[in-house]
Amino acid sequence: MLNEMTQTTIKSTKLPPSEHQYAEVIHRLEAGGSMLPDTPENLMQIIGIYKAYAVPMDFYWRDLLYIAERVFLEPLPFFKYFLPQSYLDLPNHYAGDDADLKIWRGRASAHPELLEFMNKGETRKMPKLLHHLWHDRINMEFAEACMRAMLWHGRDMGMGKFDAYLDTEEYRANADKAIKAYFKGNLVMLGLYKLFPDMFVEQVKQLSYYSNLGLFWEVMAPVFFEMSDIYDEGGFKGVPDAMDFLVNGIFAIAGRPIYHHVYIGDECLEIIPKSKGFTWLYEAALPYVEAVFYRTAPFRGTKSYNAQAQQVPSDQKDFHYGILYADVFPVGTAGIPPTLLMDDMYHFLPDYLQEYYQQHCRGEDDILIQLGITFQRSMYNVTSAVIQALRQALLYPLDDSNPEHLQKNRAFFEAQLDRFLRPEARLPNIQSSDYR
Amino acid sequence: MLSFLLWLPVIGASIIGFMPGKAESGQLRQITTVFAVITFVWAIWLLTQFDITHAGWQFKEYLPWIKPIGLSYSLAVDGLSLPLLVLNALLTIIAIYSIGENIERPRLYYSLLLLINAGITGALVAQNLLLFVIFYEIELIPFYLMIAIWGGEKRNYAAIKFLLYTAVSGLLVLAAFLGIGFLNGVISFDYDTISTQGLSLTTQLVLLSVLLVGFGIKVPLVPLHTWLPDAYTEASPAVTILLGGILAKLGTYGLIRFGLQLFPEAWSVVAPGLAIIGTISVLYGALSAIAQKDIKRMVAYSSIGHMGYILVAVAAGTQLSILGAVAQMIGHGLILALLFHLVGIIERKVGTRDLDVLNGLMNPIRGLPLTSGLLIMAGMASAGIPGLVGFVAEFIIFQGSFSTFPIPTLLCIIASGLTAVYFIILLNRTCFGKLDNNLAYYPTVSRAESIPAFALTIIILFLGIQPNWLLRWTEPTTNQLALNSEHLALNNQMFNHQLSLLNVNIGSFY
Repeated sequence: MLNEMTQTTIKSTKLPPSEHQYAEVIHRLEAGGSMLPDTPENLMQIIGIYKAYAVPMDFYWRDLLYIAERVFLEPLPFFKYFLPQSYLDLPNHYAGDDADLKIWRGRASAHPELLEFMNKGETRKMPKLLHHLWHDRINMEFAEACMRAMLWHGRDMGMGKFDAYLDTEEYRANADKAIKAYFKGNLVMLGLYKLFPDMFVEQVKQLSYYSNLGLFWEVMAPVFFEMSDIYDEGGFKGVPDAMDFLVNGIFAIAGRPIYHHVYIGDECLEIIPKSKGFTWLYEAALPYVEAVFYRTAPFRGTKSYNAQAQQVPSDQKDFHYGILYADVFPVGTAGIPPTLLMDDMYHFLPDYLQEYYQQHCRGEDDILIQLGITFQRSMYNVTSAVIQALRQALLYPLDDSNPEHLQKNRAFFEAQLDRFLRPEARLPNIQSSDYR
Repeated sequence: MLSFLLWLPVIGASIIGFMPGKAESGQLRQITTVFAVITFVWAIWLLTQFDITHAGWQFKEYLPWIKPIGLSYSLAVDGLSLPLLVLNALLTIIAIYSIGENIERPRLYYSLLLLINAGITGALVAQNLLLFVIFYEIELIPFYLMIAIWGGEKRNYAAIKFLLYTAVSGLLVLAAFLGIGFLNGVISFDYDTISTQGLSLTTQLVLLSVLLVGFGIKVPLVPLHTWLPDAYTEASPAVTILLGGILAKLGTYGLIRFGLQLFPEAWSVVAPGLAIIGTISVLYGALSAIAQKDIKRMVAYSSIGHMGYILVAVAAGTQLSILGAVAQMIGHGLILALLFHLVGIIERKVGTRDLDVLNGLMNPIRGLPLTSGLLIMAGMASAGIPGLVGFVAEFIIFQGSFSTFPIPTLLCIIASGLTAVYFIILLNRTCFGKLDNNLAYYPTVSRAESIPAFALTIIILFLGIQPNWLLRWTEPTTNQLALNSEHLALNNQMFNHQLSLLNVNIGSFY
């Protein structure tokens, strides 16, 4: 169990005060804390939202894998969000009694709240197609937007080997085999493949990212469920505890294989075999944080960005439309469409968070914004966990007695926080509880 | 019937003012609403009883009062005053809900609100010139107090300025009325018995000029307008609605009732000048509104412009233009009330009226989407978009005035385009754009705050689509009024012409 793992010791720094604009946050990180201030209110908010996020995430990862493995290159994938029972029953590798690593003590198949929502939605029980057309369902479009962010930014993030592998002859040969097997007997599609092979391979690359993200979230959903259960039992004493749980979880899961399998009939074709050695931390978690938390894209929102007026950076690495920068209003923003995620989380808010939102701002009327800002806070905490994990993996312990080591840690933290110096960054906002 | 309309609000004000025990603000608001609603229903009932085929006075009431000075309690309405009575009753209800429920000194506040209603009703139904002046002056006191007590930061300055200007307005009107009475040598100031026909054109011109300045302050016309921006901006939304919605209309009402009707010949002499002043007011109001950064001040200046249309129409003096003037008085009263009500909501919720700060209020979740939507509607109505009452009134004015004063009318048409300019500025900056994440923690607009705006919007839309319901009450009266003016002006001209011929003949005889 992850909660039994050792937790990072919080100690105050022995260095002179930092002169960075976010010195207070840096000192907090050096003391083993999070970018998010340690208050009971923040803890309650982030744990509540993790739980509300985990339920739709339980659908996202299952459907992402279903699309990558089964829908595959279906030319008219009208029903790709209609998850079959086999994928609802698909056991999560990190939940339940038969788990590879038991992160969550709950069930391995789909979460009961998710099943209940899929059955009734916001409206009432009716055929699945009507729920879909009425948009009374889980918004897989959000998951696909995250996947696309990873695909678009995968080229130049300079981390991991997964994206580079997609350009190899080996990958192309595997994809070719899968495409031909999938369209066996379909002369039209095979003819098209003959004419436009790159287009098909490009689609397969996208499907590999479906699989990548699905496998990433398969881990995160039980992590968040477990955090919610620990909090309900009074297990977390503060925000740093919650962050440490994530840090420890990251290390525990870091080696989980990332792969892409396609099932055609009873046959399993390995487009990216497990044997390639792609792992969860370097090929999924870190690219995900970079692509989705920091970068994403200036699309999908209703705010207009004028590329000709230099409002959109020419270099993708300078994109800053992720949740850490997002203006979380459901309209007037860009990046990952927040309305969709907020809407999904809204269905699964724990009671204490519901009550909390009712007491602030406009209560029910602007609850989507309130929970969106809570989500932003919680993602700053997840990013803090990633920063601490990287520091732990690449640098020195926080309680290191060597001042040079501590100085290197500080330089690392300062470099990380430099990314939040731009005016769009919400780091200063989340320092205050008035930001809702 | 008219006495009930006049005295019911006074009774209501007395009950609220002298009610024993401690009363909550909400409770007092409910009592005020009851009196205001009964008054409104009574005014509507009068509409149903009003004979629209009859152009003259109806529902007459007469009681001799102080005979030696010619003062009598003489009340009546015609097609000119009746729609304004209904507007007054309606705006009083709107005003009650244009300010938050928890106000300081609610007993005094609601009493004064009802007294304003009574004062304006009295002025509109008064058939005696002195009685008119009494009500015309009396309603200044509650207005002054309401600006001075519940106004904004510079309320004392604005209240004193308002009082000085409008008191002078009252004195000038009184002086003109006394002049008419004394120079005619009559001891009755009853409207039916008083006439200026016996006075020379020069005397008429002098008296009319005094009257024009008096009512011109009230309207207000440029350059007598300087009290308006301060008073409108500093007063609470409720008071601004009554100031712009109905009190200013007393000025234009006075111009038609006492200027055009009592001085038809002199009016025809000064009419070209009045048309020019009206046009200047229209252009000045529109251009000044464009330059404003405060949305309330912008609406205030827009009011100066829109009142200018009425002057141009009254100056033209045709059947159609006078009808248009009355339609504009009603239409503008409704639109201005809606604008000030919405501006009041924005100020209360956002905490500013600054165009440079306001932004993105159309945001559906954290903005004021309903208020913004209605503000767009009000702006369209004010800019004279077809299908709304503003278009009906302005179109009739332009059509009726063009034959008499083509150039001023054309300039007014251009100015109506400028109205669209400043409303687009206002709406673009206030409603559209991106809501600032750091500021957008505005309280929601309650149903009690929205309902008055909805009611006004529905009326503005209904009268825009079905203008007959606006004009039917007025048309016979304004037709008769225009005919009488033309006839009397012609008679007077003939009389003066014959008089001059007689003088020439007498001179040659000697």
